[in-house]
Amino acid sequence: MSIGLPKMFRLNAALLGLVLAVAPSAHATDAPSGQALVRTYCSGCHLEHDGAFERINSIRKTPEGWVMTLFRMHQVHGLALPEDVHDGIVRYLSDTQGLAPSEAAPARFALERRPNAKDLDLGPELATMCGRCHSLARVALQRRDSADWLKHMHFHVGQFTSLEYQASGRDRPWWTIASTELPPKLGQLFPLTTPAWTAWSQRAARDLSGSWVVVGHEPGGRDLYGTAEIAADGHGGYTAHYRLKDTAGTSVGGESHAIVYTGYEWRGRAELGGRASREVFAASEDGSRIVGRWFDPEHTEEGGDWTAVRNDAQPQVLAVLPRAMKAGSSGSVIVVATGITSPATLSLGAGTTTRVLASDAGALRASVEIASNTATGARTVSIAGASGQGAFAVYDKIDKIEIRPSFGIARVGGGKIAAVTAQFEAIGQAKDAAGNTLALGPIAADWSTLPYDAEAARTHDEAFGGGIQNSGRYVPAGAGLNPVREFSGNNTANLKVVARVRDGTATVEGDSHLIVTVQRWITTPIY
Amino acid sequence: MRMKSPGLLAVALVAVVAAVAIGPTAAAGDMLVTAAKPDKLYVIDAAKRSVVSEFHIPNAGSLIMTIVPSPDGKVAYALVNRMESISGIDLKTGKEVFRADLSTPGERVKDFCAFTITPDGKELIVYELPTKLLPSEFQVQEPRFAVFKTNAGRSAKAIRTYPAPRRLHMMLMRPSGKSFYAIGFDLYEYDVATGKQLNSRGILKWDMPSHSQPDLLAFWPVTEPSGVFTSPVISDATTDGKTTMKTGLMSLDVTTDKLEFFDFEDTSALIFSTVLSPDRKWAYGVYSTLTKVDMEHHVLAGRVPLDHTFYSVNLATDGHEIYMGGAMCDVGFYDPVTLEKRANLKLPDCGDQSLASLRVLPAR
Repeated sequence: MSIGLPKMFRLNAALLGLVLAVAPSAHATDAPSGQALVRTYCSGCHLEHDGAFERINSIRKTPEGWVMTLFRMHQVHGLALPEDVHDGIVRYLSDTQGLAPSEAAPARFALERRPNAKDLDLGPELATMCGRCHSLARVALQRRDSADWLKHMHFHVGQFTSLEYQASGRDRPWWTIASTELPPKLGQLFPLTTPAWTAWSQRAARDLSGSWVVVGHEPGGRDLYGTAEIAADGHGGYTAHYRLKDTAGTSVGGESHAIVYTGYEWRGRAELGGRASREVFAASEDGSRIVGRWFDPEHTEEGGDWTAVRNDAQPQVLAVLPRAMKAGSSGSVIVVATGITSPATLSLGAGTTTRVLASDAGALRASVEIASNTATGARTVSIAGASGQGAFAVYDKIDKIEIRPSFGIARVGGGKIAAVTAQFEAIGQAKDAAGNTLALGPIAADWSTLPYDAEAARTHDEAFGGGIQNSGRYVPAGAGLNPVREFSGNNTANLKVVARVRDGTATVEGDSHLIVTVQRWITTPIY
Repeated sequence: MRMKSPGLLAVALVAVVAAVAIGPTAAAGDMLVTAAKPDKLYVIDAAKRSVVSEFHIPNAGSLIMTIVPSPDGKVAYALVNRMESISGIDLKTGKEVFRADLSTPGERVKDFCAFTITPDGKELIVYELPTKLLPSEFQVQEPRFAVFKTNAGRSAKAIRTYPAPRRLHMMLMRPSGKSFYAIGFDLYEYDVATGKQLNSRGILKWDMPSHSQPDLLAFWPVTEPSGVFTSPVISDATTDGKTTMKTGLMSLDVTTDKLEFFDFEDTSALIFSTVLSPDRKWAYGVYSTLTKVDMEHHVLAGRVPLDHTFYSVNLATDGHEIYMGGAMCDVGFYDPVTLEKRANLKLPDCGDQSLASLRVLPAR
């Protein structure tokens, strides 16, 4: 099942392969120890001194970071590793030279491959010296002392000759800065030895086996909820069985095979509702929550948020779907919660009438009537033994539509590199009587695009860039020269994305900015 | 270790000329050389709009970059193999008559587009960016110039080296053959024989009042047909508290050593490369537009959109036709007065020319 590096090359799809490569093999790594594998396959170049290997023991990285290192060792230096050896080394190095949860937290968006994520702000110097080629998240997900950061700079110039010549590289003595100023700075920002890692690496791993309640959301798509039964697979990994539903009641079953690296980095290869997906989750330090993002392995921009909470944890409300209802309306809600007991009860506060229609492990469904004269505002949701503050709101009118993301990127595609879509979502907001903002959650909208500015209108970007679907997903046009365009230009575009929501007789509108740009030719697990 | 003997793949290929009427072509006799992915070197008869020869460069590494013709026009030297080799191709036989593989097992050496040839054709001077490849780390070494004898065959080794600054991107020989220019952070001049730096003039620290430091990245070492190298320069100019991005030109007469910078417009188009007319009255630049610059009044004299992006511009020896290549797989022929297209020649197999220089060969 596992796709290792050699296969990845045959596929000629680095992104796909590398994402898969962090997902687990079916088999175990009982046999030779990780250190023995490093000794056998790496110490020919990385000499061993007193149990430590040159360079290798001077660096800490995420599982994806180690996969990228092994990819480079293969691509540049010709290292050929059997699949199980590759997986064993990644696991060993992630476990023994990984990042503590608090160290990885600020840059998790990069591991989760969140589309349209805003990169870390590490100041203008690092933004120019490092962030103009790759994300600063990639920097922040590594730990080295200053001596090894210096070696890293040597590697950069030796491997990527053009970086001294590119825009924002050639305007300054790049090598002088990189070899004198940056190593101590990075050694201070992202040092090899930290109290966080020392403490984390000494504690025993939490066992994630057990019953979990799950809630997930696909931007522009479904809310999912249900349960996960997680069991140790006997080979150092886990198997998860999902019994989920969407809010329309459609069952979404699935199964995941996961490895937990570094004691908390859950990487799963799953099938969910018949669709392959990859899971990049993190278990909380106490082992009571698993949070992250799942995505399509071939279209990583397509995916969703994921939260799992132990069902035997303290009863708590995780979500109410929908997140808000209008005063004077009626309908049904689904409350996702741990510790639901039978018979279940539900209260959404004054002016609401609720009747539980069904309850199950992890969720109950109830009919709700909201009195027309009831006070608007965030409500405390109570079920037997559990409550959630602000998980549900009553509103009278939509005050504002916020489009997420506020700046989106889509990429033309076709041929070797698939197009990258951009998913927009309209998030409603209202005000209560006191003027507080109420979050209404995602709202269905009519979507359209406009030229972002006069230049975009002149070059007819709207006609060439692609089109936006009813779900708010922008699907870009094909890549390559377009002889119909000025200079035979590519189908790039600079657009305003508009969402219109009808609220009674009123129409509320929000907008966002979309750039349709060219392909990424180099796709890596961490951009 | 050596690659197979290069073969002459085809000669006298039938021209593929677009359906644009062939206009006046006073540049009779100009032979052009360009290259395309993965390993093709082409000789083109400009007047006939036809590919005369198509050669294969061995072990080219899928991209051919800077091209420097020998002064007698018989050999084209090309930067190939991921910027790690210079290959000299005999333009009559297509045979590789010179090869300098710059890297050695323990040292990776890249040349970022900068090399030149002495006027007698006997020595190539190559910019080298070395990195030591140790078992578990790389070590960046100081850059250097390496001199090769052009008659050293296909395993040429440097006969002398001397220190060079970082971040050079172009070299130009002076007609005397005693010194050469190197362009990077500054405009440097070096003695060919001793490697001594004779002069250093500011590019980043240029003398343009109220201007920011300029941005200049030229790697098309074209001095034909005027004997003057020109390059577009971008900077921010501030007057009365208002800052405007300006496009200008750097102009360097390789014979007289005269260096000049001037603005000619508020930046409104990208320009990758420029060339100066033989009478030195006009400069022409390309990217997605063809730009004409009035060298006397320092103003934009004309601009037309192009069918697509071109990187490398050149000019007929008599100044009566603009040639453009680079980027894609055709060479454009344009009227220098009206800026209208006269023809375009599609290269066989349609490989991208990418960063390859489009050069006019010296008359044989």
